[in-house]
Amino acid sequence: MPGQSGSATMNELAEPLLQVKGLSKSFAKRYLVHQSKFSLQNISLELYDGEVVGILGESGSGKSTLANIITRLTPFGEGQIFYRGKEIRSHSASERFEYKSEVQIVFQDPYGSLNPRSTIRNSIKEGLRLHQPQLSRPEMDERVDGLLSSVGLASENSNKYPHEFSGGQRQRIAIARAIAVQPTLLICDEPLSSLDVSIQAQIIELFASLIEEFRLTMLFISHDINVVRLLCDRVYVMSDGRIVEFGKTSEILNNPGNDYTIKLIDSVY
Amino acid sequence: MPNSPSPTGNAERNAILKLEGVCVALAASRKTMVRNISFSVRPGEIFGLAGESGSGKTLLMRTIFGLHDDAFVEKGRMTFKNTEFSSSEHRRRVRKLLGREIGFVPQDPFSSLNPTMRIGRQIREALYLGKGISPKSAEAGKTTLELLKEVGISEPATAVGQYPDQFSGGMRQRIVIAIALSQEPSILVADEPTTALDAYTQRRIINLIIERSRNRNLAVILISHNLELLRKNVDRIAVMYGGQLFNILASDEIGSSASHPYTEALFKCIPRKDMNLADIQSIPGEPLSAGYGAAGCAFSSRCGLRRDICDTSEIPVNASLEQEFDACLVRAGRRP
Repeated sequence: MPGQSGSATMNELAEPLLQVKGLSKSFAKRYLVHQSKFSLQNISLELYDGEVVGILGESGSGKSTLANIITRLTPFGEGQIFYRGKEIRSHSASERFEYKSEVQIVFQDPYGSLNPRSTIRNSIKEGLRLHQPQLSRPEMDERVDGLLSSVGLASENSNKYPHEFSGGQRQRIAIARAIAVQPTLLICDEPLSSLDVSIQAQIIELFASLIEEFRLTMLFISHDINVVRLLCDRVYVMSDGRIVEFGKTSEILNNPGNDYTIKLIDSVY
Repeated sequence: MPNSPSPTGNAERNAILKLEGVCVALAASRKTMVRNISFSVRPGEIFGLAGESGSGKTLLMRTIFGLHDDAFVEKGRMTFKNTEFSSSEHRRRVRKLLGREIGFVPQDPFSSLNPTMRIGRQIREALYLGKGISPKSAEAGKTTLELLKEVGISEPATAVGQYPDQFSGGMRQRIVIAIALSQEPSILVADEPTTALDAYTQRRIINLIIERSRNRNLAVILISHNLELLRKNVDRIAVMYGGQLFNILASDEIGSSASHPYTEALFKCIPRKDMNLADIQSIPGEPLSAGYGAAGCAFSSRCGLRRDICDTSEIPVNASLEQEFDACLVRAGRRP
């Protein structure tokens, strides 16, 4: 495979935080829908501690399916996923619970990912109650206030409901909720694409500061080459359910080896 | 209010479309959403209309071209090919031109074709309605194939017998463009025609529209939130915010002294090839929706150049239909 630079040196340093090996997933064939568009074929990727890794691909390439599989929202067929060296399908109930707290996700659509009947304070606290029950109530509230200020929202907003916020604010809340339980791995599935241009820039700046502040390990899924270029250390390029190229972001984007990547880069304004 | 020709009247007299002080209001609440929009589009010109969601760009375009049921032209005057449309009968009269003189390409190619009708029949229907060519005639068949070929459908003869769901989003958008072009319009209005499409397909569709425009001397109004896309493709860009027209400038002048502070700020928000993380400068606060009712500039609360005048004075309007226009109150004060 082309573009393996970078990973060799890291291999010597440590074992990957997350390793996906030969992952495949196919959906039942639907009427008039081309099957291969909706499946993953032989996906392998590695994610090391403290890295921000991009997954770049067009719609239908399987990026979101991959995110859902890693977060265990969708079951998968063949292949293995190792988290800290342990296969996630062999997790015991308690290990699985812990995995779900350590791996958090921010979805594309900030309108659909918050519970409309719960104040945002409660939405953020829900994860804390579940995964860090040792915290007292005032501690939790303090934590929520701190999280809200990390994502640039005033704490007096915390007793409002999601519909009272704009799209960009909701995405900030979704990010606050995801980082509330201090995850080791944050998966962002197209977190910018439903936002306005000026708000996208705000969220990019927010991610940059959070990466610095919390030393997040992040899997950043996007179709936007320029955003991946800004945020990610390494990138995997996906097309039609396969990984066609991977390596250091600067090398792949400045010097793509794969036809699909070249086409993708050429089409960006 | 706009009135008689100005010294720059030459370009203006040639214009294919002129908007003078157009205000758009909602039918239900009678609330004015878009205020005092004045600009002109020359024949064959590719004109970009930029703005974030809620800026009123789509509302304005859909209303002046009679596509909006819930909004109407409250004030102002539109002139299209020397025909004047006053606000009273605007919609009824402009509807007669829509689809004939005015081609419209909507955002979503997945809902703009009839799913139960073969492609060929949809195009022949358009030819019949617009030009009276009998759908069964050989001429209709031939023109249909030519149109499909023109928009880059590789096997037109097969395509005419297929249904929309057998095509990808990009191909469907090509078919929609073919239907719009079938009427030989003099202006094509494309409302975010590529937002639902992939980057690669997006580029090809935009190129197709530009190329058709140059070949047919067709004026295009390309509505987009992507200032970078417009900068690379269109001749002039108008920038809207909060229902106000802020800026009209040549596309290569973004970042120069011709750009309004909002145009500049918006441009700095877009990640581009040559940028680092430090180059991204977001605009604080939230974008304002159309219908900004208070006096002054809608952008003032987010603007770095804000002065008292921004909240008290009305922003300038492009009454004399200048080719370039900047509505910044602060900069206007500094100019000689």
